[in-house]
Amino acid sequence: MITPELKEEVYNCIKCGLCLTPCPVYKQLWFEGASPRGKVQLIKKIIEGKLEASDRFHQLLFTCLLCETCTVNCPSGLKVDRLMKAMRAEVLEKFGLPWQKKMLFNLLTGDRLLPFFLFWGRALQTPFRALLPKEGKVGTIPYSKLPRLNKKSLRDQYPEVIKADKPKERVLYFTGCATNYLFENVGKAVIDVLNRLGVEVIIPKGQMCCGLPIFLAGARKMALKNIQKNIELFSQDDVDAILVDCATCGAALKKEYIHILEEMGESTEAAKKMGKKVMDVSQYLANFDLEKHLQPIAGRVTYHDPCHLLRSQGVKEEPRALLGKIPGLQFVEMAGADVCCGGGGTFQWEHPDVSTGITGNKVKAIKDTGANLVASGCPGCRLQIFGNLGEEPIEVVHPVELVAKALSQKSY
Amino acid sequence: MLKPEILQKFISILGPERVKTTKEDLLTYSYDAFIAESIPEAVLFPKTTQEAAEIMKLASASRVFVTPRGSGSGLSAAALAKEGGVLICFTMMNRILEINCANRYAVVEPGVVISELQKELDKVNLFYPPDPGSATVATMGGAVMMNAGGMRGVKYGVTRDYLLGMEIVLPSGAVMNTGGINAKDVTGYDLTRLICGSEGTLALATKIIVRLLPKPKTKRTLLAIYNHIDDAGNTVAKIIEAGIIPATLELMDKQIMKALEDFMHLGFPLDAEALLLMDVDGDVEVVEKQAALIANFCKAQGARDVRVSQSEKENEQLWVARRSAFGAVARLRPNCLVEDATVPVSRLTEAIKRVIAISEKNRVQIAVLAHAGDGNLHPLILFDQRNKEELVRVEKALDEIVDYALSVGGTLSGEHGIGIAKSKYLSRQLSPTALEMMRAVKKTFDPQGILNPGSFLESAA
Repeated sequence: MITPELKEEVYNCIKCGLCLTPCPVYKQLWFEGASPRGKVQLIKKIIEGKLEASDRFHQLLFTCLLCETCTVNCPSGLKVDRLMKAMRAEVLEKFGLPWQKKMLFNLLTGDRLLPFFLFWGRALQTPFRALLPKEGKVGTIPYSKLPRLNKKSLRDQYPEVIKADKPKERVLYFTGCATNYLFENVGKAVIDVLNRLGVEVIIPKGQMCCGLPIFLAGARKMALKNIQKNIELFSQDDVDAILVDCATCGAALKKEYIHILEEMGESTEAAKKMGKKVMDVSQYLANFDLEKHLQPIAGRVTYHDPCHLLRSQGVKEEPRALLGKIPGLQFVEMAGADVCCGGGGTFQWEHPDVSTGITGNKVKAIKDTGANLVASGCPGCRLQIFGNLGEEPIEVVHPVELVAKALSQKSY
Repeated sequence: MLKPEILQKFISILGPERVKTTKEDLLTYSYDAFIAESIPEAVLFPKTTQEAAEIMKLASASRVFVTPRGSGSGLSAAALAKEGGVLICFTMMNRILEINCANRYAVVEPGVVISELQKELDKVNLFYPPDPGSATVATMGGAVMMNAGGMRGVKYGVTRDYLLGMEIVLPSGAVMNTGGINAKDVTGYDLTRLICGSEGTLALATKIIVRLLPKPKTKRTLLAIYNHIDDAGNTVAKIIEAGIIPATLELMDKQIMKALEDFMHLGFPLDAEALLLMDVDGDVEVVEKQAALIANFCKAQGARDVRVSQSEKENEQLWVARRSAFGAVARLRPNCLVEDATVPVSRLTEAIKRVIAISEKNRVQIAVLAHAGDGNLHPLILFDQRNKEELVRVEKALDEIVDYALSVGGTLSGEHGIGIAKSKYLSRQLSPTALEMMRAVKKTFDPQGILNPGSFLESAA
């Protein structure tokens, strides 16, 4: 359902075109249908009943990273991304989901299918990889650069409550699927750092995928169970914060849940209350006096802004400040750090050519800094950047991994 | 109607990817930043002169209407397929071909976005001054065809003043060059400047050669806040009269300040009536001196506060704000027509008063913006296109602004062009002889009348 307020917004598009050149997708394709203005105008025609939601429209609607650059740049104040997201939900019934997405989303919303898949995935990933052709890619990412499954999911490696002596604060930790199943190092780093700072960490059992990949594909009903379950588990009054290490999960918990529930006509009260406590781990760590604990580590680091952290949540300075605090580590800003990496979740395998072009610019900007480390608080961005770095000896990490390293001098 | 066999030939020239024909694609090319809509029959994206020439050869052989287009940020519907036919869109032909530091010129393809060129030039300490509000969107081809002006007009002039030469494709498909790379050139008629501002009615530009300046050593941005808009207008006249030429001299009224404040939260005072946004640039000593002088003028004319921006970041934000003014007023009402009648600068205060009076009389919301330094008013007329009764009042207000501007020796359009937005007024400013001459020129270039049909000359009353 597109809400009446969103519908009315299309009339605020004055067609100035200021959204064209900031749009990474338009800058690859250079035709209007790829631009935010073009899409808004088509949505307007559909709302007015002058155009049907056709195949071509559907194709254009998904030729978008949902990076939200247009929304923050729109002088008229259109929430372009929300309009597109609502429209994706609107056309879902007509067009359905591609089978790959259907399969993935079924995994992420079910609680029985996933363990089964993970068991066989872990058992077979090594022999299976050996069978893959060397040159093959998933979207833009070579098989050889795909991450491996954690031997044991992160949540199975820790108790539900990780106690601290005389805890200063208590936090809930939303691990997200990427950290839980693929990037355990990030999760371990988060837990170690918090522990060291005397924070009690609770990892609520039964937490589910945040659902963002599902509802951004338009499948809102499918994601509803995940949303409601997570809200139920994370609505706890006696904790100081809800921490997230993944920009995307953070955007979901902090903002998207509220929008979606509102647009679906569900109650938003609990989501709003929970959302207020949600913080990116870099934001949370900004409140601590870390300097006295940090040991020097050598290196030159640059930082990439995830769309879901910068534009969805407005977090810009904290991760940089965090990196800047680490002695010995030289921080260098890359050109266009705030430009989307070109991953966009499933965008990169739906539009590998466009994605390669955008990521190519990102990789060049990274190389130009001469850094040997790229930090970014989003698993999607890290995957995309790592997958497109080629043979460059540049490590791609979460900022908190570097903090953990500087705290312990242990390698993550 | 475009015959299928002709469409097929266009596809054989460009390939299927660069010929868009779906209903959805065509709808996205039915508008620019004006309020009119007109759906083309196909949109063609050439990448080379050769392709553009072949398109025109085919078009002239089969009498297909062709309308050239860039990013579609124009404000007068000049780049819409008003009489049907195809659009030839240059956004994919967008390479900077040469930046020549020794002779200070650049050669670009028409689809290069103005600010992209400026960014590249900045790296080598060169400067292309024309700076329309839409510089981050608009293409060089569009700027040339519309003779775009902009914020630095007061000191640096407009696109025409930097244009050295072009490679053009005539409606017949013939390719020719005008002008060249030389700073001085009086060989033959100045076709370069004839085509500049022709609104895409004479030829397609496929290469553009522009003159460059050394980058000014330094720049200061000043912000003066006024309780009375008249005082702001008077300040402008005083500054110009005193022989100081700031690089930019922009005026905004309180409605625009409010819309921008909603968007960017810069701390504009919402109780003030107007502000002036000014740049001075050049050598450090000169800039310091001029900035101080201007600040004094502002205070003497009643500015309640004058601020000199403290950092590059603040400068940048202020100018992003100014660029966003047109878009930001959509926060006030859904549609906006940007009038751009221009008057001699000494009349500025009077002109602003007149606009306000016209706004009140016709009960039409008008926000006042102006490239004040060159008398180029930009009254932003705000309305809702869906309200027919309101549209009538809007039309009336527009008529009255035009009447006033012409009565004091002003012009219909300072920089946005005539297109279809102002064609009904054209004969008020141009004599029958002048119109006849223009039509003769058009006929010479385009005897069949296939290039941008329905443009200002044809639709002129």
